[in-house]
Amino acid sequence: MKALLESLIRGLGNGSVYALLALGFVIVYKATRVISFAQPSFMIGGAVAVSYLAEVTGFYLAMVLAALLVAAVALGIERVAIRPMVGRPVFVVAIITLGIDVVVRVVVNGFIGLDVRQVGDPWGLSLVEIGGLAVQQRWLAMLAAAALLVGLLFAFFRYTRYGLAMRAAALDQETALAQGVSVGTVFALSWAFAGGLAAIAGTFVGTGQGVDQLTWIIALKALPAIIVGGLDSLGGAVAGGLIVGVVESLVQSYQSDLAPWLGQNFAIVTPYVVMLLVLLVRPYGLFGTREVERV
Amino acid sequence: MKRSHLALLTALLVGAAPLLSACGVIRGDDEDSRGAVTTGVTREPCPLAVDKNKGCIYLGTVSDLTQGPFAAQAVPITNAQKAFWQRVNRAGGIGGKYEVDVQAYVRDNKYNPEVHNQVYQEIKNNVLGLAQTLGSPTTAAIINDLKANSVVAAPASWTSGWEFEDVIVETGANYCIESMNAVDYAVETYKPKSVMAVHYAGDYGADAAAGAKVAAERNGLEFTAVETPQGATEQGRAITEITKNKPDLVILTTGPADAAAIVGQAAAAKFSGRFIGTGPTWNPALLDSPAAPALKALYEQSAPGRAWGADTPGHRAMREALGDVEPNDGYTSGWAWSYPLKAALEKMVAGGDISRKGLLAAVKSLTTVDYEGMLPPEAGNYAGDPNAATFRQTVINKPDDAAPTGVTEVKGFYTGPTAQSYTMDGPCYEKL
Repeated sequence: MKALLESLIRGLGNGSVYALLALGFVIVYKATRVISFAQPSFMIGGAVAVSYLAEVTGFYLAMVLAALLVAAVALGIERVAIRPMVGRPVFVVAIITLGIDVVVRVVVNGFIGLDVRQVGDPWGLSLVEIGGLAVQQRWLAMLAAAALLVGLLFAFFRYTRYGLAMRAAALDQETALAQGVSVGTVFALSWAFAGGLAAIAGTFVGTGQGVDQLTWIIALKALPAIIVGGLDSLGGAVAGGLIVGVVESLVQSYQSDLAPWLGQNFAIVTPYVVMLLVLLVRPYGLFGTREVERV
Repeated sequence: MKRSHLALLTALLVGAAPLLSACGVIRGDDEDSRGAVTTGVTREPCPLAVDKNKGCIYLGTVSDLTQGPFAAQAVPITNAQKAFWQRVNRAGGIGGKYEVDVQAYVRDNKYNPEVHNQVYQEIKNNVLGLAQTLGSPTTAAIINDLKANSVVAAPASWTSGWEFEDVIVETGANYCIESMNAVDYAVETYKPKSVMAVHYAGDYGADAAAGAKVAAERNGLEFTAVETPQGATEQGRAITEITKNKPDLVILTTGPADAAAIVGQAAAAKFSGRFIGTGPTWNPALLDSPAAPALKALYEQSAPGRAWGADTPGHRAMREALGDVEPNDGYTSGWAWSYPLKAALEKMVAGGDISRKGLLAAVKSLTTVDYEGMLPPEAGNYAGDPNAATFRQTVINKPDDAAPTGVTEVKGFYTGPTAQSYTMDGPCYEKL
């Protein structure tokens, strides 16, 4: 039971990082109908920025500054590379985001250099005892940070003018435009949010273990998470991220005992198995909007 | 087409032909224009020649230079090799007749076998051999071509499969032998009763795990193998297997970030067994990581050669040639790997058969190589059968804050009883 709960908390910790990344994907998708494959580069860019800034400002301020910096970079990229493509097929824009990802990562790799970079987090691999459970502090920090950010984000969409504008544009761009909403600003804001969230997620990925040139791959876990939750659902992104994290962690801990015939490292494909199972039952994800097409 | 237009076109083509030919556009034969001796060797000097009176031997490099998983090692390896051959050129070149260029044909494989083959095809008609071909699966994509065209290549990998390829001039013990020696060292030092190999898939991880298995069986130890994927957040299962089964010794064959995640988190979960990681598991920056206390307490590194800071003529020459760079054992490996090619090129030029076949014959006649103390001369034996020629010595290092690359030697070149008696009759990774 103790091992099960520890595995569960580890899964929730990792899952909260996937959730932050998934939120970025969903925000951009809702605004532009494009899946932005640039998220991994923003994630690693944020972590690397923290690794430099933390030496000067300390970890917490570094994380805020890095999130703002990456948000600004994402906003700039949207303005320069994505905005001119408005009206083009979404497939073309998605491919452009792939190119942006590669370019940004090559630049960031230059800052990573040859060694593993540490983000200077205060938790390291320290444990805390909770009810007899030995839990890594960073898992709890990830959960707390994700809960705080998700709360702030939902409050932003619910209570601010720009939040309302983003919701309106996500619902119907032309109508929103007719009502005076600056859809261009919505696009830019969505990219900035996605960049900032990815930067914070990347920082938490780096806690306790650092970042190297391969760390970006983790961001791809958010893809099954958004499909599981529903491509256009913010709540679904959070749920999808947590589900992927927990299922993955439980499979890592118990598959070799319970189902060794699945082979080693079945946990790697688990997010995709979950995704397929959900798609079989709910093709638009657990919380996605069911599309009605008239024939 | 009107006749007058046809005539004009013909005149233009006839007139342009000598011009295009002079530019090399039509002939497409770079070697001839540079006074080729053979493929990849010219009478003309190298582009960056020290002595313009010497010819040039071109060696290609196909490495992981930008976005692949081994770029962090590949860049210093490549830079060290540039520095190595510059030093050779400044010292009079090869046989006093040729200098060596390793900068004209450097290509990025992105650690993708298809790209590796593609860029190799681009340069293969311009080079005598390869100063570096990085990666086992990538090199496997061109090995048949290398053999068919007798293209000698220095690999940037230590898989045991290279022992069975004449055209590959490997340096240092392969991963399989390295892990045999790591287990034997641990048996002498820590008296373990059980061994777990935590390894990547493929002929890096599986090669080392196979060596650990052979050594465990020979020493009567309980053995388990846990294959683990890349990525520090993917190590949950490996950590669970270690903390659940509590082996006395873990042989790690991963990248450095993953090794730190495994050692650090296993130690945090109160695991107190020993870890020995193959050469690529170490990175000096791990000493600044949260896993550093665990690494210092539980981890040692097995390595195919001495680290950056070693006091040998070769190491001193390397440090002097590279100047003010951040110490990294990628440089050490790249530098050391170049000695056998240098010896083979000298033998080829001395023998007079300056060709790919001549170079291959020279390689196959080498029984020792002068590594200037970086490795024992017998590490450069390419003459015997694979079992006789396999180099079987390994160095054991431990983390040390004061050392330039974060490790100091605890046991110099060492051959354990398992590696000593093992018959190298095929690539180890096929036997796991």
